[in-house]
Amino acid sequence: MRLYEYEAKEIFQKHGLAIPKGQVVDSAEEARRFASQIGGPVVIKPQVLTKKRGKAGAIRFGSDPDQAFRESQLLLGMTLKEEKVSKLLVEEKVEIDKEFYVGMTIDYSFLRPVGITSRSGGVDIEEVAEEKPAMVKKVRFSISEGPTEEELEEQVSVFKGSEQESMREVIKKLYQIFTEYDAEMVEINPLAFTKHGEAMALDAFLNVDDDSLFRHSDLVKPRGMTPEEFEFVQSLKEKKWKYIEMDPDGEIGILSSGAGITMAILDMINMHGGRPANFLDTAQMNSEGIYKAFSLFADNRKLKVLLVNIFAGLNRCDDLAMGIKKYLQEHPLRMPLVVRMIGYREDEGKSILKEINVQTIRSLEDSVEKVIQIAKGAK
Amino acid sequence: MSIIGKRSTRVLIQGITGNAARLHTKNMLNYGTKIVAGVRPGGGGGEVHGVPVYDSVAQAIEKHPDINATILFVPPKGTKEAALEALNAGIKLVVMVAEHVPLHDNLEILEKGEKKGALVIGPNTPGLISPSEQTKLGFVPSQYFMPGPIGVASRSGTLTYEIVSRLTLNGIGQTTCIGVGGDPIVGTPFPRILHLFEKDSETKAVLLIGEIGGTREEEAAELIKARKITKPVFSYLVGRTAPEGQRVGHAGALIEGSRGTIESKLACFGEAGVRVAETPAEVVQIAKELLS
Repeated sequence: MRLYEYEAKEIFQKHGLAIPKGQVVDSAEEARRFASQIGGPVVIKPQVLTKKRGKAGAIRFGSDPDQAFRESQLLLGMTLKEEKVSKLLVEEKVEIDKEFYVGMTIDYSFLRPVGITSRSGGVDIEEVAEEKPAMVKKVRFSISEGPTEEELEEQVSVFKGSEQESMREVIKKLYQIFTEYDAEMVEINPLAFTKHGEAMALDAFLNVDDDSLFRHSDLVKPRGMTPEEFEFVQSLKEKKWKYIEMDPDGEIGILSSGAGITMAILDMINMHGGRPANFLDTAQMNSEGIYKAFSLFADNRKLKVLLVNIFAGLNRCDDLAMGIKKYLQEHPLRMPLVVRMIGYREDEGKSILKEINVQTIRSLEDSVEKVIQIAKGAK
Repeated sequence: MSIIGKRSTRVLIQGITGNAARLHTKNMLNYGTKIVAGVRPGGGGGEVHGVPVYDSVAQAIEKHPDINATILFVPPKGTKEAALEALNAGIKLVVMVAEHVPLHDNLEILEKGEKKGALVIGPNTPGLISPSEQTKLGFVPSQYFMPGPIGVASRSGTLTYEIVSRLTLNGIGQTTCIGVGGDPIVGTPFPRILHLFEKDSETKAVLLIGEIGGTREEEAAELIKARKITKPVFSYLVGRTAPEGQRVGHAGALIEGSRGTIESKLACFGEAGVRVAETPAEVVQIAKELLS
């Protein structure tokens, strides 16, 4: 879960990192008031989760309270990559001497955290790393012990003279934040040295591992979703279901068990010119689960056909067939149904579905061919 | 032969009293896995399908010093504590089945595993099965497997069953089939598994069932190109048509930028001479050709 800049900055400040004086506002009038309180130029930044706000021209300046008002008015109506701007962070414009980069993330190849530092701040660090790798310092360290003195030494070696001591402190604090908040990534870009030589986080990025949110209940709020949507997503998560809408014009719904096989089915359908609309990947299915799963697809009016893939290894074909039968007896399905069924108690499952006139197919390839035929024929 | 999971493997089940653990303990025992003890804090003195239950890993090991593997049927929140307990007690093979283990917990477990010289499998894995040794650790449905010359490593459980059942139907058996886990961070990713299969005299060819996301397929290709792996390796890759930036299934199957794309994986495998099947049926075809 990605935090908003202002949320991340609050955390940074709590851990002793300097941030500019600022306030979150949701009206231009508030922005004006804060700007006059500051009594000097301000920076106005929309609080959205879209990256690269600067490039989108969405970071504005106000040299006086009136300009702050006008710019805020402009920003508050904007939509950035489908995200409506409803909050702004208004900050004192700090006089800066130089801008650096510092971040901490996980090196997935080495299975260790990695600190990243560079003298090139305020730019896309991935690009710098690719074009001038010597400008970027990456140092891996122990997750349980944090960077050692030697590792810190190396990490700050890209900086000069007195900068090094300040950066060492920044990195130590960043490590505390990294572990305390289960960060996938924590980043200060840019980290500025002010005219007074103080290291200050001008921006703040903090991405918290979704699987750790049970220990960060303070951070969890419904984000960018209606309460109903949030509840829906949570309920799927509790059932260990993954439901994904793929293509608004898709025609084929897929109900399958297991991420890998579901991806394989999507590949096969796409490679044969079919268009999957959505899929549900259920971890462990039983009759009750498949009954509920059907209801997720039943209301989708665009679906021309539904493919159900059952490979019963740990579960049973007959149990799942009972769930399907129960659902179909209570709710007539709006679209044709193709059931691929193979595995444990397959014959029993097959005869249960036969009772309600649903034919099953054994081969995955044949079932994919069949749904594509139906989808195309229905056009 | 097998690379992991042998007749000599003596297994501990942590969290043995849960419903899933009970069921799979029974399945594993039926298959032939030697389960000698279980752990459930507060459940010491009990029994599950004849397997004695202890309060802690240390107590179990005291009574059964031959324990050399453990399977964690423990919820994601409790996985770190249970895994560290097992590693600190000196167990050298740890299988973690839970999905949604926090990343940082996972990193800590793997760091400890490395320090202790242990093999950590998972998290988010169905486990592994070694048909000729009649041993499975986890919940792989054993009816789809048979002894034979193919080593299989996979990032996905259900896809493994789908593919391996076809090999088995065609009379092509397996040395060990291992689910490496669907998370972005796992203890025994493809490169490490390849080294194990390379050393195993019975394994004639290795099948990697991969997917988009991460760079493990690319790293495996590097090893093959450098001739550190000399056995034939072939692959089936899924997620070819997955939309960018969306977690299609596994947490590990996420494409970010140019990292982890299908194009990158296909190119690397191509350069390394790894044949990649486009469909499940083609996997069987390639296996037949490699073995003939």
